[in-house]
Amino acid sequence: MSDSESDNEQRLTLEDLEGSDTEMLSGDEDGPIDIVPEQRITINNEPALKRLREQIALPKDIPWSETQSITSTQAVNVADPDDDLNREVAFYNQALEAAIMGRDRIRKEGGVFERPGDYFAEMIKTDDHMAKIRQRLLDENASIEASERAKAQRELKKFGKKVQTEKRLEREKAKADALDKITALKKKRQGNDNTTNADDDFDVALASDDEEMKSYKTGDPNSKKRSSTSTHESRGKRSKKDQKFGFGGKKRFGKSNDANSSADVSGFSVKRNKSTSFKSGHKAHKAGGSAKKGGAAKQRPGKGRRQNGAGRK
Amino acid sequence: MSTVFKQQKSKRDKAEGIVEKSKDDTPVFRNKQRVLLLSSRGITSRHRHLLTDLGDLLPHAKKDAKLDSKSKLHIINELAELNNCNNCIFFEVRKRQDLYMWLSKTPNGPSVKFHIQNIHTMEELKMTGNCLKGSRHILSFDKNFESSPHWQLMKELFTQVFGIPKTARRIKPFVDHILSFSIVDNRVWFRNYQITEKPLEHRSATDTTDLTLVEIGPRFVMNPIRVFDGSFGGQTAFENPEFVSPNVARANIRNAKAGRYKSRMEAIAKKDEKLKEAEMPEDPLSENNVFA
Repeated sequence: MSDSESDNEQRLTLEDLEGSDTEMLSGDEDGPIDIVPEQRITINNEPALKRLREQIALPKDIPWSETQSITSTQAVNVADPDDDLNREVAFYNQALEAAIMGRDRIRKEGGVFERPGDYFAEMIKTDDHMAKIRQRLLDENASIEASERAKAQRELKKFGKKVQTEKRLEREKAKADALDKITALKKKRQGNDNTTNADDDFDVALASDDEEMKSYKTGDPNSKKRSSTSTHESRGKRSKKDQKFGFGGKKRFGKSNDANSSADVSGFSVKRNKSTSFKSGHKAHKAGGSAKKGGAAKQRPGKGRRQNGAGRK
Repeated sequence: MSTVFKQQKSKRDKAEGIVEKSKDDTPVFRNKQRVLLLSSRGITSRHRHLLTDLGDLLPHAKKDAKLDSKSKLHIINELAELNNCNNCIFFEVRKRQDLYMWLSKTPNGPSVKFHIQNIHTMEELKMTGNCLKGSRHILSFDKNFESSPHWQLMKELFTQVFGIPKTARRIKPFVDHILSFSIVDNRVWFRNYQITEKPLEHRSATDTTDLTLVEIGPRFVMNPIRVFDGSFGGQTAFENPEFVSPNVARANIRNAKAGRYKSRMEAIAKKDEKLKEAEMPEDPLSENNVFA
């Protein structure tokens, strides 16, 4: 390449440039005419590009194996470049096609393609690097397995909880049944005392009762022996006492007022409150005066009299 | 003088692959490509790893020390000549984050400047593929490279820079990987696959071929910025109209953030003014005035 030739080229490119510039400025016929003034004038000097390519291009008649370059038969067309999977599949297909074509051409030209199994040489990734990759794969698999196992465990736990609640409900139901039986028994006894008809339902319920209940009914003293499987109803006295004095639970402040009890006005009667007798009676009682005043029907006796009177009744 | 000229000419011819005559006096073409591989100063570790990956993939490449200057790139031409190279890959790093890659035919050009994005080096990609160090690869180009002159020029450059000549010294005789260049979104996507043959028993009925590919890495995307007439300079023959400088992109993000702050401040000022306007004038009949 002589100096004059390169000069000529320089001039040529300048001309090309000018041409392309004016072309760009005039704009496309169907394109937008209102060009923004500060819009960058882009350069696409096609003749210069072609010339440059011819300048560096390798001769056409060289064997293919010199460059080993293959152009795909189908253009890669990815609609969304952010769609990783489709994009990579497109690239893979392009490369795979080239690999197949390349192998054919190499074999045709008498070259060797695949590496024999006993050919060992330095690899691009060292053994350390490959070991790391393998370890990472193993770790990945292990973590997947572990997470799956944990998931199964969680499922099992959920199911176990269900079983537990079922059991609890069953126990509660059994307890409620037992309490029902007690109440039924009480009613039965009351009914016997008062010689009223016992409810049929209770009879049915009691008919299914165990031996102990029968013996209770008949008053058989032999079977009154306390068994290890004593139930609530088999301990009648105890349960009565528990009812009276309380059993279990918090003992302190049981009788002191709290928000609920002070808000409770169920014991309040307007009538009684308005009746003068109540007031006067109250006063009279406080003053310790006579009890027969107004319409006070019944005066509550004193404690001693009450206790004595209760004995006498 | 003429002897000096002849000497220079033969040297250049050698560099360009036009080699001395053979026995029967017809010039035999030999694809002699050598690539100078170097970076500017201020390179980050990731960029450095990418550079070493490329160096491993290209046995005909010669690595050189980092270049000090970013403004006087033409000295790379001299460096390439010193190293007997007729191609150059130059990594220009700006602001310790933006990587630009120059592909150039030294000393006369052309050259292309790319902005490199989405870099994943071989080390970090944890891909299972592997290949011989220095085996000659097949270059696979997307058909889109034929669509316009600037892509054709780039394809020619890639073929010469990334294609390993038969006569390179450190090559190994088998072909076990493939470099693929595809154009998507007006950028060139680079992939490197290992070629493996699937054993017969692992093949499914739908497989048309016994070859499978396993990716090796690295991965990167080349966004062309400009094509220059000369090597590391000269007239621009092509300029990518869609290219947005990373500086501009960052500035846009910053401005958007600043805009948020600005609008918030404006809203506060507006509210203050509104409150001031809503204040009532003092009532002459108010208690304070009447009983003062």
